[in-house]
Amino acid sequence: MGNFGQLMDGFVVALTVHHVMIMVIGVLLGLVVGVLPGLGAPNGVSLLLPLTFTMDPIAAIILLTSMYWGALFGGSTTSILFNIPGEPSSVATTFDGHPMAKQGEAVRALTLAFGSAGFGAMVGVVVITLLSGWVANFALQFGSPEYFAVYFMAFASFIGMAGGSPFKTLVCIMLGLAVGTVGMDTISGEGRLTFGITQLTNGISFLIVVIGLFGIGELLLTIDEGYKFDGVKAKLSLRVIVRTLAELPRYWVTLLRSALIGCWMGITPGGPTAASFMSYALGRRFSRRGKYFGKGEPEGIVAPETADHSAGSCALLPMLALGVPGSATAAVMMGGLMIWGLSPGPMLFTTRPDFVWGLIASMYLGNVIAVVLVLATVPIFAWILRAPFTVVGPLIAIVCLIGAYTVSNHMFDIWVALAFGLVGYVFKKLDYPLAPFVLAVVLGDKAEDAFRQSMLSSGGSLSVFFEGSLVATMMGIGILLLSLPLLTTLFGALFRRGDSTDAGQTSRP
Amino acid sequence: MQITSLRKGVLTASVLTASALAVGLTGATAALAEWKPNRPVELVVSAGPGGGSDIFTRVVQAALTKNKLVETPLIVVNKPGGSGSEAFNYAEDNVGSPYKVYFGTQDAYVLPLGTKVNYSMKDLTPVASMVFDVFILWSNPKASGINTAQEFVAKAKENPGKVRVAGAKAKDADETVVTLVERAAGIDLAYIPYKSGSEAAIQVAGGHIEANTNNPSESLEQWKAGNQKPLCVFTSARLTDKTVVADGMSWADIPTCVEAGIDVKDFVQPRTVWMAADVPPEAVAYYTDLMKKAMDTPEFKDYTTRNVQITKFMAGDELKTFLAEQTKNYEKIYADNNWLLPASQ
Amino acid sequence: MEISRKTMEVATAVLTGSVGALICYGSTENGIGWGPGGPEPGYFPFGIGCLILIGSLATLVQTFWKHAGAHPAGGHSAGAGAGAVPEEPFIDGTRLRLLVAFVLPIVAMTALSAWLGLYIGMGLYIFYTMRVSAGFRTLTSLAAALLVIAVNFVVFEKLFMVPLLKGPILEYFGIY
Repeated sequence: MGNFGQLMDGFVVALTVHHVMIMVIGVLLGLVVGVLPGLGAPNGVSLLLPLTFTMDPIAAIILLTSMYWGALFGGSTTSILFNIPGEPSSVATTFDGHPMAKQGEAVRALTLAFGSAGFGAMVGVVVITLLSGWVANFALQFGSPEYFAVYFMAFASFIGMAGGSPFKTLVCIMLGLAVGTVGMDTISGEGRLTFGITQLTNGISFLIVVIGLFGIGELLLTIDEGYKFDGVKAKLSLRVIVRTLAELPRYWVTLLRSALIGCWMGITPGGPTAASFMSYALGRRFSRRGKYFGKGEPEGIVAPETADHSAGSCALLPMLALGVPGSATAAVMMGGLMIWGLSPGPMLFTTRPDFVWGLIASMYLGNVIAVVLVLATVPIFAWILRAPFTVVGPLIAIVCLIGAYTVSNHMFDIWVALAFGLVGYVFKKLDYPLAPFVLAVVLGDKAEDAFRQSMLSSGGSLSVFFEGSLVATMMGIGILLLSLPLLTTLFGALFRRGDSTDAGQTSRP
Repeated sequence: MQITSLRKGVLTASVLTASALAVGLTGATAALAEWKPNRPVELVVSAGPGGGSDIFTRVVQAALTKNKLVETPLIVVNKPGGSGSEAFNYAEDNVGSPYKVYFGTQDAYVLPLGTKVNYSMKDLTPVASMVFDVFILWSNPKASGINTAQEFVAKAKENPGKVRVAGAKAKDADETVVTLVERAAGIDLAYIPYKSGSEAAIQVAGGHIEANTNNPSESLEQWKAGNQKPLCVFTSARLTDKTVVADGMSWADIPTCVEAGIDVKDFVQPRTVWMAADVPPEAVAYYTDLMKKAMDTPEFKDYTTRNVQITKFMAGDELKTFLAEQTKNYEKIYADNNWLLPASQ
Repeated sequence: MEISRKTMEVATAVLTGSVGALICYGSTENGIGWGPGGPEPGYFPFGIGCLILIGSLATLVQTFWKHAGAHPAGGHSAGAGAGAVPEEPFIDGTRLRLLVAFVLPIVAMTALSAWLGLYIGMGLYIFYTMRVSAGFRTLTSLAAALLVIAVNFVVFEKLFMVPLLKGPILEYFGIY
């Protein structure tokens, strides 16, 4: 009840003309940086940060978070249209979003993504509103073993789902882990797998891997397939948008499940990227239309988008309550908080309730504004798709290369992205699954750190992962998820021996 | 264990020399042909967004822009790769560029000691050292039952190698101070590295780890919330801020570690500013002057108060002497810990 | 020139396998044992390298086995009954030429950009693709190249203040 009253006060703070104007500007800027893969939300936030020094903290944080929403939405746009994830967390959106766009239903795919993203964000904000006090304490219960268990769960949900050759999946996961390992090791402070190459000491950025594998790889595939790019048929009418929005409630099971996964991963240290992957994997396993995932299935767009945005919203809470940022963007924002004279931490909720609740209230509004604005941009993007590939292709190539360069201003990174582009093309053609590869790059390094921190603090005893109810439960769920495909194949083999001839052929992520 | 020459007497004396020096410098800049950047200046940070060095740099950026001390835009560029060596490596790639200023800590001169990096101190021109961050040893009083530094040492003696101390990164400032504590108190601790200081603080606040070392601001909020308690501060004199923070205690009430029986006198972290090698001397003079001006802004003063830092501006020869002395101290600690690179041994 | 799927499968497996071996070798520099405080830095990389090696070998064996089984028998063993149709190649000659024609300019642009800066690199690249690949007139292509440079310059340098590599020519003309 107390929370509700405070939220109302928050609305009073957030609902001034000045603040709503700031929200619109923030969302628009965010859309721009989100759409350009060379610029991400962290760029946008650090660009705006100097401007906020003269603003009051509430207006400043509203500007930055609105920009963050805008960037999240913009990131999905390029994922769907060009297979280039603008943000790490929108990688999973490419799996079904891009195929759907290629089939000429770009507008539908975009609308589905934005609609479900808006829903996810709303659920996230509601969770924050209701549970803010509890979440801060809950997050404190996460020691290194719990961190590891969260990553393990995300991994486990994904590993079983990859179809095709198990050996190829193994190679992909392990290559992804290896890419994540390159560079400076947190625990020992030593460089690993650098082979004396300076540029490798800095590690291989996830963004560069993704730009290569998905962006450049997709360009090469498009040429291979004979320049087929059916965006031309995309219907521009408002009717498609409205009809698709009306279609959304049909996926209520996926929406709810994904929102829950998102909230969970947002509150725990999993984060939006892991959330979207996990939600996609579980959607594929538990949805009745699971076997169509990867071919432009609506639920394959709804699942990751909902989870991504609910996790994105929920992740702001640990940042405010604990001072541990969940993402690069949150880290820049947190730096901002400190410069404005606020210290994120458990006391922020009592010392500056106007700030915290003003921010939460602005999240409701900001997301609504973001959905409306981003839907308004759909026709523009559909129009871009009408240009011939010979013109659009090179432009996409330039955008990818600049994107790779801006990650840390190294020409070397462009070469790395090109190499990953070739890898992406060959792997995709030979049915090596790319999704586990990417997930391994994102989570591998963090999971290893958490594992070794647990080992250091337990004196090398593996039993820490099963002591304590929280960690034991999560590990149990993880192991269950891991063994699920094994069990289902076992049961499937027992009960329906006859009609399972093409079971292995249908899945191609 | 003596790390820096920040003893009390030296401190006051050198503050005097520093201000005298600064006056001399401003005079010098006026004499030299007035140099000014005519294009955007990159402020290169040797840490990721949100880290201590990042906030330091952004405060300088804010102070300079807000008070219109510079006319050209200032762009903050994060280069956290390779524990920050990426930033200084960038200096090596941009020899002589007067439009790039590098912000770091002791990392600039400590990194080459223990890790393979592709720059050397010859690639950097020291500009200034602006403030010192102090280090504090914290515990979680509720979960670990440790309330004082004495209890901490006693507990570590009872359970050798079992009392865990969290900190940021490996073989960096936090781990260094932990090894100093181990040697001074004759105890054996388990050091656990995390990605950042705030992450380490949360682990202690959550009761998963017994203690951590930290810059004050990173654990301040958890202290207020009662999840963490300061045990002792690694300076030779107590801190000066007497405003009560929590439990009726102020920063000035925290005993120094020497008082508490852990003989580690001065372990502080300088916030340093660098340029690449072979930059025009008038540019160095310009930025030295600029940093000095930044320190006098209200934004910067707020920052130092909030972070309970020791303000001490050093530039020119004083800075060079200081850096030489620091490097020697670190070399010795690294040799003791067996962290030195085989080649430089 | 045509590359068969089998050739590509084998080449890829050999490549990933050698990467695995390289990782195993690289990790030995960090210590690959399980120390008193848990795994040493090279422990996981070494395992990862080994698993890549195993996975690649298995893929290799699988490829040879499949092809050995499929070719002489002519579809009996493949299960789905599609074995009679010859397998689609990895890539045929025309497509390969298209692909190379697309990739080479990009590589050239990257190499040029390292030397002349990204703006000039992208301008030359756009001019080339517009003129040669898309077949526009010289003037149109030139205009497009300049437009791309201008848009990128404004977006990155002016609006978002993200400096891209300028190179000696822009530097000479005092553009920064």
